[in-house]
Formats: sequence, structure tokens, C-alpha cells
Amino acid sequence: MRRLISLVLFTLMFGIILGGCGFKDIDKRFFVVAAGIDESGNPNKPFRVTLRLAVTSPKIEPGAGKSQIETIEAKTIAEGVRELKAYVDKELDFGHCKIFMLGEKLARTEMTQALNWMTRRRDIQMIANVSIGKPSAEAILQIQPKTERYPGNTLFLSFGKEGTDSSYTLSEYVFGLRKRLTEKGIDPVLPIIVSERDTYRISQVGLFNKKKLVTTLKPEETQLYNQITKTYLKSSLGGNVEDDPYVLTVGKIRSNYNIKNGPQGKPVVQMIIRINGLLEEAPKMVFEKDWTPIEQELGRQYSKAVVQLLKKFQRYGVDPVGFGIRYRATHYSGGDKTWQDWQRMYPNIDFDVQTHVTIEGTGLIK
Amino acid sequence: MNRYYYYSFLYVLLINIMMFVPNILIQNRFTGGVSSMLLAIPFGTMLVLVFSSSMTKFPGKAVPEILYERYPRWFVTPVMWVLASIYLLGSIIVLVAFSVVINRFYNPDTSSTIVLYLLIAACIYCATRTTLSLLFILEMLIIINAPLVVFVLGKALFTSDLDWDAMHTVANYVTVKPNLDSFAAATYIFSGYLNLSILNRALPPNFRLKHRWIIPLVGTLAMFTSVFIPIGFHGTEGVDEYLFIWSITADSMKMEFGFIERVLFLYLILYLNLTLLFTTFGWHKAMEFLKSTSKSYKPELDADKTPILNWVICGSFGLLTIIYSIVVDEKQNYNIAGKWLVIRFFTEVISAIWIFWLAYRVRSKSKSKSKINVKEQTESK
Amino acid sequence: MINRILTMFAEAKDLITKRLRNDDTYIEIAYIDSLCDESKISEAIFVPFSRNQKPFQEIVEFSSEFKPVHEMTEWTSSLLRGYVLVHINGKYYSYDASRNIRIETQTTQVESSIQGPQLALTEDLKDGLNLIRNRYPEPSLAVEERTLGTVSKTRIAILFDNRKVNSKVLKNVQKKLLEINSDMLHSAGEVVRELVGNRKQLFPTTLISERPDRISNSIAQGKIVILMHGSMFGIILPVTFFDLMNSMDDQYEGFWMSRTLLIMRYFSVLLTVTLPAMYISIVSYNPELFRVQLAFSIAGSRSAVPYPSFIEVLVMLFMIEMLVEASVRLPRYIGSTGTTVGGLILGQAAQQAGLVSSIMIIVTSVVAITNFVIPNNAMAFAIRFLKYPLILLAVFYGITGVCIGMFIYFVYLSSIRSFGVPYFRLHGKLTRSAEGDLGQVSST
Repeated sequence: MRRLISLVLFTLMFGIILGGCGFKDIDKRFFVVAAGIDESGNPNKPFRVTLRLAVTSPKIEPGAGKSQIETIEAKTIAEGVRELKAYVDKELDFGHCKIFMLGEKLARTEMTQALNWMTRRRDIQMIANVSIGKPSAEAILQIQPKTERYPGNTLFLSFGKEGTDSSYTLSEYVFGLRKRLTEKGIDPVLPIIVSERDTYRISQVGLFNKKKLVTTLKPEETQLYNQITKTYLKSSLGGNVEDDPYVLTVGKIRSNYNIKNGPQGKPVVQMIIRINGLLEEAPKMVFEKDWTPIEQELGRQYSKAVVQLLKKFQRYGVDPVGFGIRYRATHYSGGDKTWQDWQRMYPNIDFDVQTHVTIEGTGLIK
Repeated sequence: MNRYYYYSFLYVLLINIMMFVPNILIQNRFTGGVSSMLLAIPFGTMLVLVFSSSMTKFPGKAVPEILYERYPRWFVTPVMWVLASIYLLGSIIVLVAFSVVINRFYNPDTSSTIVLYLLIAACIYCATRTTLSLLFILEMLIIINAPLVVFVLGKALFTSDLDWDAMHTVANYVTVKPNLDSFAAATYIFSGYLNLSILNRALPPNFRLKHRWIIPLVGTLAMFTSVFIPIGFHGTEGVDEYLFIWSITADSMKMEFGFIERVLFLYLILYLNLTLLFTTFGWHKAMEFLKSTSKSYKPELDADKTPILNWVICGSFGLLTIIYSIVVDEKQNYNIAGKWLVIRFFTEVISAIWIFWLAYRVRSKSKSKSKINVKEQTESK
Repeated sequence: MINRILTMFAEAKDLITKRLRNDDTYIEIAYIDSLCDESKISEAIFVPFSRNQKPFQEIVEFSSEFKPVHEMTEWTSSLLRGYVLVHINGKYYSYDASRNIRIETQTTQVESSIQGPQLALTEDLKDGLNLIRNRYPEPSLAVEERTLGTVSKTRIAILFDNRKVNSKVLKNVQKKLLEINSDMLHSAGEVVRELVGNRKQLFPTTLISERPDRISNSIAQGKIVILMHGSMFGIILPVTFFDLMNSMDDQYEGFWMSRTLLIMRYFSVLLTVTLPAMYISIVSYNPELFRVQLAFSIAGSRSAVPYPSFIEVLVMLFMIEMLVEASVRLPRYIGSTGTTVGGLILGQAAQQAGLVSSIMIIVTSVVAITNFVIPNNAMAFAIRFLKYPLILLAVFYGITGVCIGMFIYFVYLSSIRSFGVPYFRLHGKLTRSAEGDLGQVSST
């Protein structure tokens, strides 16, 4: 009896198994390391999909990372990828695709469709980085940095935390972008990759409203934005006190903000920023001086810059910091009313930024 | 403290994700989900305590034995059938849901039914084991998986991607009136105590429930993390768009320095274990209930040989699961899970009250008996 | 007597029968020459009998070495065990003059320990009892003796501590011993197989040990030990999975390192069982599980390999299993040559020939090495087998299959009972104050 049951089960199982199976060896797969989506300008086939495929080799040494670039124009992204399969000899695998790039032109018009495709596909990681390619995603993907040990490494390291830790680079994941696109009260920001001969520069960000790219930030503004949205960011802060240049390396920065009603009943965003750091550039014998005025002056200049940046956000009608969601969290007044209040308030809200700079030391010399 | 009791409480608590509990609560996040959750904590704890302490009045006896001793056979047998089918349906929902998850994330190129068949085969084998063996496997798996759970939770809580403002925003909606769907879903977190209805056979006669504070504490923790962490990751609006909300949330975490980078895979292994455990126990309980309806049935904790009846019953469970998976699609499964949670809620309340009443009668009887004894003794003197 | 004995035995040249007479007594003796020590016999029987300083009958009656034999049925069995039968004045006595050929070395061979006792059991039952009695000087130590095997009539001794032993288990074992119905029994392994009954049982449910310290420790834990005449190994039962994963050194060495080693041992069991299957499922189903660097280098090194990953795995596993098997059988000094040739040269060449990838070589060696970490031989064999079904599951289902397979292994382990005692159960009580956590179940 028991033997019969097991026999039946066994044949049942293996009969079904033989029907279909997803067995595909690693060397029969083509790993996509970066994917770019551009606008083609062709109304019938509006998307231009560029994939950077890794050509693997057993040797791993600087410059050995080779890759193959495939480009196609298609009606939809999914169709484009499917058509691309006909161009290559192995199965395309998005499992290691950590970089998604939108062309600047596409970002300025429409980006929801591209993002929908990314989140709906099951093999694309939610922790893949999304960015904007300037002038186009294809142009960026065509660059092959000379020192790469394996294909795509330069881009992976630029965005990851293991590699460089630049204060100008912002990294945004697929899930984060999606959150910002859907959330009421915070708007998407994406890093912009600019091509520079054989390498990349990632020092700017683009601001989005819920649909498209609105404006871009300058590198200094990008750093400022990174500083106010993150803690523990290795960055710097500069300023002039009595005509002497001072540069502070920031060890720790934290910002706190809340929304209050100001004295005239006008709502105010109050932001308090605390910066601790070491002096990196300063006039001689600064050790003997009183640091308090220096700290205050640096703080004042910093606050001014931050207010300018926030005003810029306000001017473009975007909210990349998330004041809106903070307002929704702290000023709940039932249902959707809070959100409508905020939308009315934001265009002419005031900003009050206070920066407390603490100089921890003057480095190794006085 | 009896650790096996708490293990069985724990695994049900963790499986809530596969039962679509977070999905239902998140769907209702602006329409009474939060208040339902708050309400479910005292209510669920109360059910747990009432049922568990009542069961201790029947040392070494499971629910079928208790009922058959007190009520006529024609009355109890349908009750057993109902209980068995509820457990069975619960396990089938989880199994089918998980086979879809596995299919999406692990084996995208095979069909989900193939994975389902393997899961079914494993569950048939496991559910036919003796109750005692299942308790050992329960302990082992909880101990192996606990670090994984702690790791995934810790990873989620201490990442900078978690948006506390979004969680705060949703928490503001606590003033909205609770609704039945979310309340039933939220109480599911506590429903692990029902395992006692069979496991009571294995517990020692002097079993007393100690460390009761664990129940509300862990239950609250599990409930809030399983609902609010996805909200923190995906925002108040975006969170509703995802189908497999926790798989996506686990995929949104990153281990920069781990051997593998994506938390998703850890999470899937963890839930594979939990799903197998849950289904095994669900089928085992359903099997015991069905077996108890036979007249010649004798409860056995650790039979030397697996009875053929076990194989037959579990085999037919497997067949039912296959039929279910053919008839019901992903969307229907989700809806059925929501309804199942509500039905389960009512049966749970009824059975807790019932057992409590029986326990109360037993106690008053034994008291009056002892009084009579005292009287007799004094008279004889 | 002699006539009767002669009719009982087949014609055997080494069956010696003698009729002796001195001044006042007449005796008949019979023994099997090849089983006995002639000098013992002459010392105990011939010399005193011929000198006749004391009446020989008195010597026989007073000496404890001469045991009275009451039944005729015992004659053949005692003769066959190397006893001398003496017939004197209508009474029968037996005298133990058996000569045992055995290995003289007494150091541990199989379960070596670094700083623990180096003494092993010997093939002689009496010596074994001596070793254990010395290590366990307790009056409660019970020793039951009986013979097993209808033909081989192997003497065995069952040892247990009367106060600590679980009577249910003891009865179970005694019953099973009675049920053994086999002609020849020579090694502990055969006895274990007969005792366990289930031929297809994958995991060992008894512990076969040559260490007297281990045996006496087990007796102190309330376990039962079966010693066997003619075998260097004792059988300890019932045991749990965790007993089998424990080496004696764990108790002799420092706390932290021995605990760390224990954890690593369990970890290496996990590795040796799952690694080949995981390799297949990651390489062929879910390469996104690796880090990018690793995925690319594996893809690169596999690109020369013409076969699918599971063939690669099976080829390498076959090679390593044969290597292990060969080095066990080979004499010790050739053995190392075999491993060098096989392991180093074959592995290197196989990789260069493009038959396997370089990662696979690492996987195979890890699998082999981690398997050697398991301290018990029977357990190591059982675990060595476990990886193959998992490979099958991995080929068809990928990681899911491996995880489900592991789950089934766990369930299987916890459904095993070693003579009624749960095999795969963590200690009954976690804290000292805890009550018994399961009714009706014994933990030892």
C-alpha cells in the first residue's frame, strides 16, 4: 500500500517536472549590467532601449571588463527587450542589472511608463539604482572606462556605499523612486550622469514633479541637498570669515525640521541644522582665536545658502525634502484635508533655517 | 513556561504575512485599519488567555476528546468536520500563495504548479508524522529561523530608507472607526493558541501558562512591524500598489557586506520554512480532527508505525490543494483569504467561549464534589 | 560422559577426551584442544591430579574456577567456548581454559583524542569489563551476559546503571536482543543492524565506540552498553543525533574553543550536505544570488565547460568519493600518494581541460573536508549520502527544492526514535526551574 502511494506520487511528480523546467546555466545567460531608456523621436517607436551586456571572462584584471552594447527602438520597453533577445546568443538576465538610466529627453517628458516596467518585472531588483543620462542614456552606456575590472563596475561602485563616498553623488533606488512618485508630500530626485570623455561625472541631481524632470541642481546645490537630507555624510562646508577662507570637513551633520505657524499666522518651515567638523583650510594660528564667531559666521552663510535652495524648490513647485509628508504626519486634521491645506500653503511658505556649526578641532596644526 | 506552547504561537504569528494580513490592513490603512489593530491587541490577548487557561483544565486531552466525552456523537462529528475544513483551507491558502511567490522570485521560468506539487508532496510526508515529531521539528525550525527573523527585522528598522513620517501619517488615522475585515485580520496574529486544541495531548499534566506578558508584547510587535515597515519603505500611497508587499519590502533592503546582497533571498528561505511548517501543522490538525470522528479512534501521541489512514487523509488533502489551485486564481485566492480570516475569527471566538464554559463546569463540579467529600468525612466521624 | 560427547560432535581431531585415574579417584575430562591453553589445563588439572597431595575432588569443590554443570545441554556450549569438562564421581564441572588470540595494542585507533585517555577496548570481553568497572566503580552497575547467534554463539555483556537506566528502554533492548535470529555475529555493526531492525534506516541510532571513557560516561547518563566478545567496539544506546556529533575531546578541552568547534561542526554538516546542491541551483537557476563579481567570474570560468552544472557536480563528486574510498582501503603509506595524485593533479588538470570550473574544485574540496569533521564514522557515512537527493531536487527545482529537501530531512530526523527515545530533540529542560515540558516522553 505504502509502496503504491509513493510510486504514484513519484511518477506524478516526475511526469510534471519533465513538462517544463527553468534550468539555465550561468554561462548561457547574458547579464545586463546597465539598461538605458531614451526617447527616440520616432512617433511609431518612441522608446530607444539600450542594454549593456557583460562579456565575462575567467581573467579578472584592470581593463579586462568587456561589454557589448545593444540598442533598439521599440513601441514599448518590454517589446524592445524581447526583440533584443533575437540579437544575442544567450538568455538575457536582468538579475544583476543595478543601473537604470533614463535619457534626459525622456525624463523631461514622461517617465512613469519606464518606472512601471521596472517595478512590474520580477527579476529587476528593487535596490537597482535609477539615474538620468545626459545627454542621453545611450551615450553614457557607450562609455567603457579603461580601468574596469569587470563590466559595469565603475557605475556600481559610484552609487554603492562600498566604493566612493562622494557628497555630490546621490543614489536613488527603484523602490525609493516609486515611493516618491506616488507619495503625497515628497517628490522624486534623480542623479544625473554626465559623460566626460572616457569617464562619468555624477555631481548633479534632477528635480521632478510627479510626472517629469523640472529642473536640475548645480553641483554645490546638490551637495547642499545631500547634506540636509542625510546624516553622517562626508562632505565639506566653506565660507569666508573676515576675508579669510575657511573650509570645514563635516563629520556629522543632522537637520531637523518642522512646520509651525509663524508670528503673523503665516506658516513657517523651521529647520535646525547641526554640523560638527574639523577645519581643513583656515588661516594660520586659528587655534588661538575664539572659534565662536567663526562658527556663527559659517552657520549664517550656510543658512543663507540653504534658504536659497529651499526657495528654489518652492519656486519650481517641487518638494524633494519631504516637508509635505512631515506636515501630514504632524498636523493631522482628518481625512485628506491636511494634504489640501499643505498644497495651498506650500507656494508661499516661509523658511527659517538656523545652522549650529561646531568646530571640533583645527586638524593636525594650529 | 512551556516553550512548545510559545513556539506554536510564534510560527502562526510569523505566517500572517502569507495570509495576506498586512495586505488587508494596508488596504484599510485610511479606513479603520489602525484602530482595528489597536483593538485587536487586547481582544486577541484575551482570547489567548481564556482558551489556554481553559485547556489546562483538561490535562493531556485535545478538543475532540473533550467534546466527545460530553456531547453525543452526531453533534460533535459535524463540528470536527467544520474545524478540520477551516484548518485545511487556511493551509491551502498559504500554500498556494507561497507557491506563487516562489514562482515569481525564485523559479520564474517554471510554472507555479510544479513548485506547488513539490510543496504538497513534502507536506503530505511531514503531516503524517506523529504529533510528537512535529513538536521537535517545530522547536528546531523556530530556533534556526529566529536569527533570520531578527536579522530581517533589524535590517528593516535600522535602515535610513525607512520613512518615519509616512508611518506617522498613517498612524494618525487611528481615529477612524474600525471595521470587521481588518479587525479579523489583525486578530489572526494571536491565533496560534488554537494549536493547543491538538497539542494539549503532548503537554504535561501540570502545564501552567507562564510569562503571559509575552503574548501581547510579541503580538503587538509583530502586528505593527508587519504593517508599518512596508509603509515606511513604500510611502503611504505606493504601499498599496504591490501584490507581494513583504517580498518587495525585503527586496528593498540591501546587505552591503553580506555574502549575498539581497535580503529577499533570506526572506524567501525563511518563509519557505514557515510555510511548510504552517501547512504541516494545519494538515496535521485537520487530520487529527477527521480521525477523531471514527469510532475506533484512539488518540496517540507517538505511534510506532504511521497508520495508513494518515497517508490516505493527507493524500486527499494534497489532492484538494491541487484542485483548489486549478480552480482558484491568484486574485480569488486573495479574496478567499480575506473571507477565511473573518470566518476563522468567529469560529475562534465561539470555540474559546465553548471551551471556557466547559472548563468552568469542570471546575465547579470538582469544587462541589470536594465539598461533598468533606461533608461525608465529617459525617462519618 | 566421553561417549556421549563423542556422539554429540562431528569427528574432530582437536576434541580431546581423556580418562584418568590416580590412587583413589577416576576422572574423565574433555576439551577442545584448539580453543584451550594447554598450560592452563595442566596447571589446574593434570598436575594436582597426578601429585594428589590433596584429594582432587576437594580441589574441584573448593575452587571457584570449577563451576558445576548441572545440565547435559550445557556441555557442548561450554566445550565450544574453550571450557574443560570434568566428570568426577558422578558430578560435572567446567573449567575455563580458553585461549584468546587478540591484538595486543590497546591504544585508540578510530576515535583518537588529543589529550584524553588513549586506552581502547580490547577484543576480550573480560578485559573490556575490567576497563569499564575500573572507570565506573559503582555497585549499581549491572552486567548481564548472554550469547548471540545460533552458530557463532558470541558472548555479549549488557551493562547499565541499575538506578539510572530507563526501564522502558531496557525492556525494549532486552526484547530486541531475544528476537535476534541470526547464525553468525562477529562485529558490533552486525548486532546493531539486527537490533535496529529497520534496514533502510538512514541515520545510526546507536553509537559504536571503542573508548572506555565514553562508554562509562554513557552508563553514567543512564544509557545501556553492549560489549561483545571478539570485537573491539562497544555499542551505546539509545543515542540522539547530538550525541553522535559530539567527540570526547569536547569534554576534555576548554569551554570556549570546544563550543566554537561544536558550532563549526554543525555548520560544516550544513555545508557538506547543501553545498553541491546550492552550487547547481545558484548557477543554473538564480545567479542573481551571488555578488556581481562572483557571478561574472563563475560565468567566465564556466564558459569553457561544455556540460550542464549538474553533470559537472556529479563528475567531481564521483571523483572525490572514489578518492576517499580508495584512501581508506589503501595501506597507510600509499594512501597519501593516492590523495596527492587524485586531489591535486586530477583537480588541476580537470579544470585546465575545461571539464569543470575552478569554483567547482573549491566546492568539491569543501564538501569532502567538511564531511571529515563529523566525529562519528557511521554518522559521517549517513551524512555523506544526504547530498545526493538534494542534488536531484536542485536540478529540478533550484533553491526551493534544496530548502524543501532540508526541511524533509529535518522532519525525518525528528521522526526517528532510538529505542523509543526521540532522536532529534533538544534537551528537555532549558532552565533548571522548568517543569517537564512534554508529558509522557522520556528524554534519555
